[in-house]
Amino acid sequence: MAHKKNRNVGIIGIGQTKHSSHREDVNQPELIHEAVSLALKDANLTMKDIDCVVHGNMELFEMVHSPDLWHVLGTGAYGKDCIRITTGGTVGATLSCASDNLTASGMYDIVMAIGFEKLQEGHTTGGITNMADPLWFRKIQAGALTGSSAYDVEREFGLERANRASLTYRIIMDKHAGLNPNAHRAFGLDFNQIDDLIRTSPKLVGELKLIEMCSQSDGACCVIFACEKKAKEISKTPVWIRDHITVHKEETFSIFGYNREFPVMKTHKFAAEQLFKRNGIKDPLNYFDVFEMYDPASWWAIDWLRDFFDLKGDEHLKLIENKEIMIGGKLPINPSGGVIGSNPIGATALIRVAEAAMQVRGNAGPHQIPTPVNHALASGFGGTMWTVMTMLEKELNW
Amino acid sequence: MTTKQMKGFEDSYVVEGRMALPYTYFAGRVGSKFITTIRDQKKIMGVKCPTCNVVYLPPRQVCDKDFTDIRDKWVDVSNTGTVSNFTVVRYDDKHLPRKAPFVLALIKLDGADTPFMHILEECEIVEVKIGMKVEAVFAKETTNTILDIDHFKPAAERISVHEINATRKQWVPVDEPDTQGKRKGGKPDMSKPVIITAALSGAATMKNQISSVPYTPAEFAEEAYKCWKAGAAMVHVHAREDAGMATHEHARIKATYDAIKDKCPDIIICLTSAVGMGKTAEQRLSQIVAIKPEVASLNTNSMNFGIVDRKTGKVFIDYVFENTFTMVQDFGKAMEENGVKPEIECYDMGGLDNAMLIGRQGIFTDPMNFNFVWGVAGGQAFRAESFIAMMNALPAKANFTTCGVGTDQFPCIMQSCILGGHMRVGLEDNIKMPNGDLAKGSYEQVEVAVAIANNLGRPVATTDEARLIMGIKKR
Ligand SMILES: [Zn+2]
Repeated sequence: MAHKKNRNVGIIGIGQTKHSSHREDVNQPELIHEAVSLALKDANLTMKDIDCVVHGNMELFEMVHSPDLWHVLGTGAYGKDCIRITTGGTVGATLSCASDNLTASGMYDIVMAIGFEKLQEGHTTGGITNMADPLWFRKIQAGALTGSSAYDVEREFGLERANRASLTYRIIMDKHAGLNPNAHRAFGLDFNQIDDLIRTSPKLVGELKLIEMCSQSDGACCVIFACEKKAKEISKTPVWIRDHITVHKEETFSIFGYNREFPVMKTHKFAAEQLFKRNGIKDPLNYFDVFEMYDPASWWAIDWLRDFFDLKGDEHLKLIENKEIMIGGKLPINPSGGVIGSNPIGATALIRVAEAAMQVRGNAGPHQIPTPVNHALASGFGGTMWTVMTMLEKELNW
Repeated sequence: MTTKQMKGFEDSYVVEGRMALPYTYFAGRVGSKFITTIRDQKKIMGVKCPTCNVVYLPPRQVCDKDFTDIRDKWVDVSNTGTVSNFTVVRYDDKHLPRKAPFVLALIKLDGADTPFMHILEECEIVEVKIGMKVEAVFAKETTNTILDIDHFKPAAERISVHEINATRKQWVPVDEPDTQGKRKGGKPDMSKPVIITAALSGAATMKNQISSVPYTPAEFAEEAYKCWKAGAAMVHVHAREDAGMATHEHARIKATYDAIKDKCPDIIICLTSAVGMGKTAEQRLSQIVAIKPEVASLNTNSMNFGIVDRKTGKVFIDYVFENTFTMVQDFGKAMEENGVKPEIECYDMGGLDNAMLIGRQGIFTDPMNFNFVWGVAGGQAFRAESFIAMMNALPAKANFTTCGVGTDQFPCIMQSCILGGHMRVGLEDNIKMPNGDLAKGSYEQVEVAVAIANNLGRPVATTDEARLIMGIKKR
């Protein structure tokens, strides 16, 4: 059984900025306003129709306190109920969960979720580190930079195969990003550059290379949710939220893991198992038509595929090596180009839900999957070991 | 990071850390224009929401109340304002712009609806009060920040004309048989209020010269209101199309007239009967008869009315402004019959004589109201002795006002005020201030006229007094 809902909830409006390394031409509310205006236009609504605004970003990344208040200039939340959410990297996914819950509960008919980031303005490490306490595992953070996944994959499958799988994944993401007009980075990479990139891309930690890391982006995303009745009235193609799950594990503020026997990053596996079990999905790899995965680096991405879909042996590497995760493959992953393509953190996980919903609607643009998309999956990931997964459906028939 | 032990807690460490918090702030296009306008033009601009009419300062891209996109709705606000709240900073820190103690004040600039924060200096801290008037002091060197306004200081107190007029006795007409004699001798009755007229537009002043010249009815209403607030009792109006061309269309002129009356019911409106170049006599007169303003201009001679380069004498636009005797007579009769008081425009002594000659028919009711116009290319330039000659040629009960094109404007109105006459200013005649800066609007020239009156000890006429003096009844 999926978690109890008083009523169904559909996504009826989506707006995103073009994501970019810097936006000197706008301040924070102005950037948000772009996404909000696009989402309202997409849903053919005005702010008058919105009952509640759910605002999210990374705490302190822009050095502004109470950003939801200042951002009213761009969110349109003046005189409306407004809630601020900050759950780290997952915040965008949590925005979606909260909006779904607020609508499903009957509290509001139409809820607008806004995720945003303007990394250029603040000091990310300052925001993450805040108060370090070396005695109690509150380490001085250097951002989401870890080589442990690379070590793990390398030890299991050998350096050559591991490196090639990571770079293949990376190049697939670059090709996808090249199709997405909103993506921040698309270099035009090709598979024949793999050997060159392995040799030349600067190494950050172990085999984790610069080219394999996500970008630092500025951008905003806005998604409008409506109860079933309103969604059917307003939208020709509402995308239904079937279920979502949040799992976290933060007895230590660390993303490195202690050792192979005691890895930290088990929340993806646990979340996926619970979510699929309670929805009666026995073969998720076949069930889903697209997966928008929060992939901060290609090493993590290839490792996590195994966790999400409970794959055995080297099945996850084969999916990548056979390019089954490309648009046109068995399970396209991140037709948007993913987090490696664009990472406005507070918006990133909401973009996963938005992009998955666009695929279900069938109007994602140049990066639309050519075959029908009926079932979509989106994931969020955050620095304090959070996993959020969201299931989207084209039809209300589950 | 260091650890230390506090006395009395020898078994407990205290860990001390320190972080720098660097940040970058992207002002965006709207915020950047706000700063560059202050930097380059010493001008403070806000944005006005057309939906709720709120003027935001600092400007913003979107009205938070109704979500209207207002990024292009720029308006000028004043460099002066009122302290709406303040605090005293009493500690020194790196991020603070001054050494403590200093005052940070929330200042609502005149013309803005929202206050903004700045430093208030040049006064004792104990003298700072909520409600005090302050003015911006611009920085000598730019930093491309809000500190291009270096600080605010207490403003010179300026009491409004309306406050002064509210406390003085209203002027009552006295029948003095020797008024004309005294006036001729240069000893006019200085206790007689001076009527200030603002000619808001004319036919030829365009927005590419000065953005505050009104085109739309709403813009006329706003400008008229500002002029009334500054002390004008009358506005002179050439209605315009949206694109700026002078119009004879009744509906547009009526809409302009009504918009001014709605916004500013007391003010006297003087409509032009010249309208603009190339208009027929019928087009010029029929709108006056249709709308029946309290006052209309009446031109007195056919003359060159061109545009000629003042330095080189080169002719740019050659035009004969036709006002035959028949037209002067027909226009004058139609106005008087419809209860419209003519303002008789004299571009030289001959025009004055023309009006007197036609006047023998008994067309004009007393008092006749003359306007001496100086500096039109085709009329006479301003000369003090010409002014006096014209004044001395007036009939006994006549009033006179004056206006001058370009740099003639301020000298001629000052002379008129000294001699007991009235004053017309406005962007129709001149777009600049006495120091050569562009005027912010006709109202700023009205403020100069008020200053002239104040310095000569003449009260500024209320609209009621202006009607009494000019012999017109309020509509
Ligand atoms: Zn508004």
